[in-house]
Amino acid sequence: MSKGYARNRQDSVTAASAAFQVRGRFLTALVLRIDTDSAGDAFYAQLDEQLRTTPQFFSGAPMVLDLAHAPGLCDADPLAALLAHLRNRDLRVFGVQNADRLDGAVLERLGLIAVTTGRDAPLPRPTAAAPAAEVPPPLRNKVVHAPVRSGQRVMAEHGDLTVIGSVASGAELVAAGNIHVYGTLRGRAMAGCHGDESAHIFCQNLSAELVAIAGLYQTSETLDAAALNRCTHIYLKDEKLCMEVIA
Amino acid sequence: MTTEPKTNPPLGRIIVITSGKGGVGKTTSSAAISAALAKKGFRTVVIDFDVGLRNLDMTMGCERRVVFDFINVIQGDAKLKQALIKDKRVDTLSILPTSQTRDKDALTKEGVEKVLTELKADFDYIICDSPAGIEHGAQMAMYFADEAVVVTNPEVSSVRDSDRVLGLLSSQTRRAETEGAEPIKAQVLITRYDQERVEKGEMMTVEDVLEILAVPLLGVVPESKAILKASNVGTPVTLDGPSAAAEAYQDAVSRLTGETVEMRIPGERRPGLLQRLFGRAS
Repeated sequence: MSKGYARNRQDSVTAASAAFQVRGRFLTALVLRIDTDSAGDAFYAQLDEQLRTTPQFFSGAPMVLDLAHAPGLCDADPLAALLAHLRNRDLRVFGVQNADRLDGAVLERLGLIAVTTGRDAPLPRPTAAAPAAEVPPPLRNKVVHAPVRSGQRVMAEHGDLTVIGSVASGAELVAAGNIHVYGTLRGRAMAGCHGDESAHIFCQNLSAELVAIAGLYQTSETLDAAALNRCTHIYLKDEKLCMEVIA
Repeated sequence: MTTEPKTNPPLGRIIVITSGKGGVGKTTSSAAISAALAKKGFRTVVIDFDVGLRNLDMTMGCERRVVFDFINVIQGDAKLKQALIKDKRVDTLSILPTSQTRDKDALTKEGVEKVLTELKADFDYIICDSPAGIEHGAQMAMYFADEAVVVTNPEVSSVRDSDRVLGLLSSQTRRAETEGAEPIKAQVLITRYDQERVEKGEMMTVEDVLEILAVPLLGVVPESKAILKASNVGTPVTLDGPSAAAEAYQDAVSRLTGETVEMRIPGERRPGLLQRLFGRAS
């Protein structure tokens, strides 16, 4: 990447008089797939409803028509009519896809290009006006079958973390979900690191430097004295860390 | 002292003596362990990895005989044979001193590997005396090791540093990086142990230390005046007169070579009635 950049720079110095430059450009276009064979009033009514509920989704976005399910529109006249209606609604149609029957001259007259490259994104949902909600990554739990030593940091980014062994002072456990320690917890344990308030910490012997759930923490100085050196369950209740001795 | 050298081929075991924290007795232990190994007849060499702070040669009492050093060998300025100093007390013991004038960056992985490979062809045990800390020098000392002796004082900061070093031994060494290799065999050697202070609750117990470090115990060396004295006259404590510390090191070395020796925690004998009446005279 940096190599290419350097070369371009050099070119611009040596060929200062170049009148143009060719560069790649990726852009995202909306695809309007028409599922009815004739664009009648019902079609335009639905389209207007969509435009009314999510205006910002369409505003200024380049658009491609997909005619795979509407062979009836693959003719010069109905297509011209459709195009006029769409452009009337301020939709920036610039191309068609899956319309092999149309010949190049017709498209050229209508100011369209045949789009054959690129691939479709998943169908946008009507409610997807706001950026689509992130798909949660698959749960991946982690089991460590060794003592966690001072200075080591063990992360379970997308799930629970189980340590079979002790966690030394100066060591750090971080998990998106629960943390289980089958040994003495002397280091730090941070459960629910992405904000999961339902995360728990379990340890056979609590003498931690720090425990935290969803960002709420307590240090060894503020730990519940009753739970110290005991088998403990730590959880969050009413925005407060609670410690329950379980054995 | 003459010993019967073991027959060929050499074992070529590399043992690093390390700790993380300074002042816990790495160099003293390196000297004592290598001398005890040599006394048992093993061809032993002890290497000082603490470049810039040459201490091992003084502890071994050979500082006046240093001509070439480890760094000279790594940089190709001298042959290994020229730099090795043969001990005058035990003929199976050699010392590879380090440079006082260079710094630890002079230790390159390739250079260290070359020297160690050469030594493996001639020696049963190669003892690497690590510098304190976890920086380059300490990493070079541990990188090629087959075994590790982690020296720890029964005291919280020393134990925590040892724990850190154990973490490095299991991640930043050649055995850790080689797929399918047996991990470094790490054992803890507790030094400067004082039973009286442990009983008063001023010092951690052996059990406490082992519970935190979760590695086998190689031995427990008591705090002893014999060690300071031996160090100052340049004699490894195991070659000096009999002492509790020397015994503890000899036991540890026997365990290191695979013998089973009953673990003796120094000072465990309860003082007799008379001693209790008259207090501790020693």
